[in-house]
Formats: sequence, C-alpha cells, structure tokens
Amino acid sequence: MKVRRIAFSLLVLLALILSACAQPGQTPTEESQPEEPAATQAPEAQEPSGDGPVEITFWHAMSGSREEVVNGIAERFNQSQSQYRVLPEYTGSYAETLTKALAAYRTGTAPVIVQVYEVGTRTMLDSNAIVPVYTLNQGEVDWADIVQPILKYYSIDGNLYCMPFNSSTAMLYYNKDMFEAAGLDPDQPPTTWAELEEYSLQIMEAGAAPGGFSMGWPAWIMEQMYATHNQLFADQDNGRSGLATEVYLNSDFGVMVLTEWQRMAEEGVLVYGGREYAANDPFLAQQFPFLFQSTSSLGGILNAAEFEVGTAFLPRFEGDFEQGNSVVGGGCLWLMNQASPEQQTGAWEFFKYLNSVDETITWHKETGYFPATNTAYERLKAEGWFDDEPNHATAFDQILSGADTPAANGVLLGDFVQIRDIVGAAIEEAVVNGVDPKQALDEATAQANQVLQDYAELNQ
Amino acid sequence: MRPPLRPTRSSRTTPNSTSKPVQVIVWGAECLSRQRSAPQTFNGYMNTRFPNRYLPYFLIGPMILVVLLFFIVPSAQSLYLSFFRVNTLGTRSIFVGFNNFVRLVTSRDYLNSMLVSLQFALMVVFSGLSLSLFVAVVANQRLRGFAFYRAMLIWPYALSPAIAGLVWGLMMNPNFGLGALLLRRLVGINFNYLTSSLAAIVFLALAATWKMFGYNIVFFLAGLQGLPTELLEAASLDGAGSWQKFWKVTFPLLSPTTFFLFIMNTLYAFFEIFGLVHITTQGGPGQATNFLVYNLYQDGFISLDTGFASAQSIVLLMIVASLTFLQFRFVGQRVHYL
Repeated sequence: MKVRRIAFSLLVLLALILSACAQPGQTPTEESQPEEPAATQAPEAQEPSGDGPVEITFWHAMSGSREEVVNGIAERFNQSQSQYRVLPEYTGSYAETLTKALAAYRTGTAPVIVQVYEVGTRTMLDSNAIVPVYTLNQGEVDWADIVQPILKYYSIDGNLYCMPFNSSTAMLYYNKDMFEAAGLDPDQPPTTWAELEEYSLQIMEAGAAPGGFSMGWPAWIMEQMYATHNQLFADQDNGRSGLATEVYLNSDFGVMVLTEWQRMAEEGVLVYGGREYAANDPFLAQQFPFLFQSTSSLGGILNAAEFEVGTAFLPRFEGDFEQGNSVVGGGCLWLMNQASPEQQTGAWEFFKYLNSVDETITWHKETGYFPATNTAYERLKAEGWFDDEPNHATAFDQILSGADTPAANGVLLGDFVQIRDIVGAAIEEAVVNGVDPKQALDEATAQANQVLQDYAELNQ
Repeated sequence: MRPPLRPTRSSRTTPNSTSKPVQVIVWGAECLSRQRSAPQTFNGYMNTRFPNRYLPYFLIGPMILVVLLFFIVPSAQSLYLSFFRVNTLGTRSIFVGFNNFVRLVTSRDYLNSMLVSLQFALMVVFSGLSLSLFVAVVANQRLRGFAFYRAMLIWPYALSPAIAGLVWGLMMNPNFGLGALLLRRLVGINFNYLTSSLAAIVFLALAATWKMFGYNIVFFLAGLQGLPTELLEAASLDGAGSWQKFWKVTFPLLSPTTFFLFIMNTLYAFFEIFGLVHITTQGGPGQATNFLVYNLYQDGFISLDTGFASAQSIVLLMIVASLTFLQFRFVGQRVHYL
C-alpha cells in the first residue's frame, strides 16, 4: 500500500517535472522573437479586428535618457495617424541589437526596423535581408537635404540604403578652467598634436592635472585620424567600390600615429581610458584637460562637468597631409525585408516623420546628435541655438569644413565589429603594454585581413 | 555524525560530475566501499523497491531528457558546426574540415587566451583554497553562532557574477572607487584595472576568489567537522602542537575535500567568470583578461563567427571532460589518507 502511494506521488511529481521541462524546450524560439509586444501593447491593439493599426516593431540601442526620447518620437508618430503603430524596443548595446536582429532574421522573426551602428553597415548591405530606403522614396524626401557627410556614409553609388537617425562624430573636449590655471588662453584650443602635447605638459607642470589627455573609442579615433588626414584605411576606396580585402593599418601613417601615442603614454600625457565611454569619468573628475570623444557625449559632459567645457576640432599631425574629414559614426535605421508590404509602407511613413524638421530639431536638442538635414540646421541657426550653445556647433562645423574624398567618407568593412576589436586590442598592446607599435599593427593587419578574406569568401 | 550541511545539488557543471564526489566528502570512506560493492546489490535493491522494472527508467527519464536537450544535442551541433565557416546570417556555409581547429592552435591570440586563463585559474585556486581553508579552520574553533557565520560567509556565492562584477567594478573604479582611493592614499599604489594588465588580472582574481570564498569555506567546514576527533586527540596526547596537528593530521584527512574544491574552483575559474569579465574589463587591456570563455563569446556572439566559436567550444568541452575525468578517477582513491 505504502509503496503504491509513494509510487503514485512520484508519478505526479514526474508529470510536473516533465511539464516544466517541456517549457525550457520551447523557450529558445520564444526568446528569439522578443518583439512580442504583449507587455507594451495598448488594449485596443489586442482586439482581434483586422482593421487595427499595422504594428511596426523597431529595435534600437538607445539606452538611458535617449530611450525616452525615442519613445517620445514613436508616441508622437502614433498619435499623428491611426494607420500604423510603431513599437520601439531597447534591445541592448549596438552589437547586441545587430546580433539579435540577425538571429531573429534566421528564424523569420526579424523586426521591421532595426537601428544598426555604422560599423554594421557592410554586414547589412551584404545581408540580403534589407529593403534599401532609396527604393521607397517616391520623391517625397529630398535626399540632397541630408547633411552631405551623413548621406555619403550610408550611400553606395549615390543610393541611400538606410535612414540616417543618430549621427555623431568625434571631437576634442577640453577643460577651460585648467587652461586658465596654466596661463593658457581658454579660447585657443590646440589644433595640432604637437600643440596638444605642449599644452598638456604645461597644464601638468602647473599642477592643474596629473595627465594630459585620454580618448573614448580609441580604435574609432584611429579611424578618425586616417580620415582627417585623408589616408585610406582599406583597399577598394575604403571598401566603397567593392569588398575590401586588406586594411592599411600598418602603413607608415598608422605606425606614426601609434608611435606618437605610445610616446605620449610613456610621458604620462596620454592616459589610457578604456574602449568606450570609460574615459569620460576621469575627464569629469579633472584628471586630464583633454578628451577625445563622440559628440553624443556632449549633453552628458555639459551636464556633469563642474568646470567650463570647451570643444574643438580633432587635432592634426604636422607634416604634408591632405585635408580629409572627420567620419560620421552613430546609427542608421534599416528596414528588414521580412516585413509585410503594409509594414514597409508604415516604416517609410515613420522615416518621413523622423526626417521632419521639428523632429530632427527635437532629436538634436535632446540628445546632442547631429540634426541630419540642412533645413533643420538652418532653422536651428536662425533660432540662435548655436550662439547659445557653441559647443553643439563644433562638430557640425568640423564635418562641414572637411573634404569629400573616398578616404573621408568612412570605411565599409565586412565584420567590421571584429576588426574594430582587433584594432582596439592593438592600440592597447602598444599604449598600455609597451609592445612595439609596428609589431602590434603588423599583427592586427594580418588578423584583420584574414577576417576580410573570410568575409569575401562567404559573401561574394 | 552527519555534517550540518549536505552539499548536494551544488554542482554547476554536468550533474554527474558532482554527485559522486559530494557523497565521498559527506560520508567519507564508508561510502566508497558501498560504491565499490554497488553492482552486486543493485538488482536486488531495485526489485525490492520498485513494483516493476520500467519505473526506474521512467523516473530517470526527465534527467536523461534534460541532459539530451541541453547537453548532448547542442554539443553535437557544435561539433558539426565546427567544421564549417558560416556567414553572419547563416545563409551560406562552407565546409572547411579541420581548418577552424588549425586556426585555433596556430592563433597567437588563442594561445595567449589559454595562457591567461591558466594563470588566472592558478591564482584563483591557490588564493581561494588557502584563504578559505584558513578561515574555515579559524571558524571551526568556536561553534557558537555557527549557522549565522555560515550564512554570512556563503552570501557572496549567492550573488550572480554580474552583480559581483558591478560591486567590484564600482569599488575599484580608478576614478571614484573607494577601494582604489584607499589603495592610493594609504599604500600609494595606483591601482587601475582598465589600463594595467597586471592590475586587471589581479583585480579579477580577487573578485573571483571573493565570490567563491563562501562556497569553499562551507565545504571545508563540513570537511573539518566530519574529521574523526580521536585522531586529533591521539596526536595531542603524543605531544603534537597545533601547527603539527594541522599539517600532519587535519590537512591530509581533508585532502578529498581539498581535491574536490580544487576541481570545482578550476572549473569556476575557467568557465564561470564570464559575467565578471563582461561587466568589468571586457577582456582588456589588450588581451590581458581575454579568457577562453570570453574569447568564445566575442567570436561567437559579437563577431558571429559561428564555426570558429564552435571549435572553441569543443576545446572547452574537452577541458571540462578531462577535469571531470580527473575528479572521478582520483577523488577518494589516491588522495585519501595521503
């Protein structure tokens, strides 16, 4: 009797366990389609009627205060019409968002719109998973109104492939209080690396800061150096006239840059600050007077700084280098081709809405990203926005003052995420671990070329 | 006498790998003899307890299913994928034979990753085991409030690696971390885990040791409490000092626990530090903390190089397999009563 009862209760237990086990088996598919809008759906969207608004999923990587700004845009768009409903969802960092979108595409559950950062551009172009935005434009949007360097970055053969959304570039931030403490003119920021080093040493000697400068996204700053000095970073016109198969990382120019950086690191002028935004904190804590960082940090830095912040163009190396331009970074919105025709039309309506002057201006003011159209820029200028906020004009003036050459339009590389990681590691090896710059770059070049060749093999 | 804490189901690796050693530690030598004689009694045992011969299989069914779904099938898939190079969308794949493995062993980065993982494991295992043994011996002296101490000591283990990473990352942050500030002010060391390779690996080893601390202590305490007191008394009568008693009696008797913890800590140092690394150093500076699991994550989930990452996961599987084999082979056999 007793044995029976135990066996029976065991069986019940087993049934419970089995049913619990069945769920983990199913979750992978559920996890791969996190666009399931159940949680965010408004009640009316759950009605089974066929004439409800068409839902447009939008995955993005805008965290913190920027996420609210994105939600605000979607909210205003949804209220402006009743046909479509944009559902923005934060899906992690840029790399995670791209990875998730690609993984979801494999299972047929891709979002309608996905925000992809600039290094993912080549991957998206070759993915056969997208609808280029230029094919949707029936003359409603004047592409020529989009600020040239942004337009150029996301265009191939003059055709725009994704909707520019959050564009930024790198610039030099500096601490005006420290300039004064060291007897320097706070309105005369350095324009060359030699001056940067000289001012840094002066400020360090005056005891105003223990270090000279640091940089966020060092591998990207390296790309910026190539672009501003009009040096090609890769073959095939930086990967714009065909798939690039080799990088020019260990060129004389690259080795010169890294050697200089290493020398300044040994002097204590360059304070290495990690790969992304980690260098912002010591800059704000007044550990050094200069910071190379994306313009997208401007809002945060202005808010947090307890000193007067100045901004300047990226410094140049002395020598016979042509004028290039700083490269656009940030993200672009891609339309995935698994979306239904109605969703695609809806996405296009949303893109048009984003591109409107009012939304462009709001986006710029609330985040610090570029206003993407010339009309919006002119309006901001007429409003006197840039007079009140001169730091917001710096990067814009910088990209508008550069040259339009293949080297300055930005690099398109297959598996660029991986390559940027390789470059980042090479910079760390030289600047932090004291490895010979030439050797570090030779190895990085070999690795990057291998990545490019694999990519070409798989995508031709 | 049973130790107060039975460390069952504490395993983080395959369920098989710990069930046996756990028994060995808890019941010591008597259990070993039972295991050796198990095959003869097993059938009789089954017949007396179960109404029919299928029920036992039915009962272990769920476990088999879980192992199959989450271990065997994915491993087989990894093995299959490791022979291909796949593009990011998975739409094209090229058969490359053993090329992914050849690349692995010829890659300077991967060898470096192997080396730093090994260094890291050594640091974590050595500092973790010696410190926690010390604390366990001290805590074993007085039993009042034991439950409280035990709960306090095992706390860090309950934290997820990511939380531990956040806590340590904030504490040792070179700009505003209290720990870094104290080091600078009191000792004059500029401890910056973001820019110094040595600082990075030491920092991670400290955080990892701290997180495993409670786990180790609880096992050591259990081991210490299970020691036969008569041996220690005999040693006292022979005039052994506490130093001698520890090294000549306690430490050798504890060796099964020590060996078990050695394996668990090694596995931990190799495989479970992902969250910690991802939150703090992200493999840097340079390649200084690019441990095997982190390298795999980078290649598989950031670079989407599925084939290459699969080859790495096969290598990792072999490492786990050999550690588990070691554990099965030697726990309680050679190490016991050195």
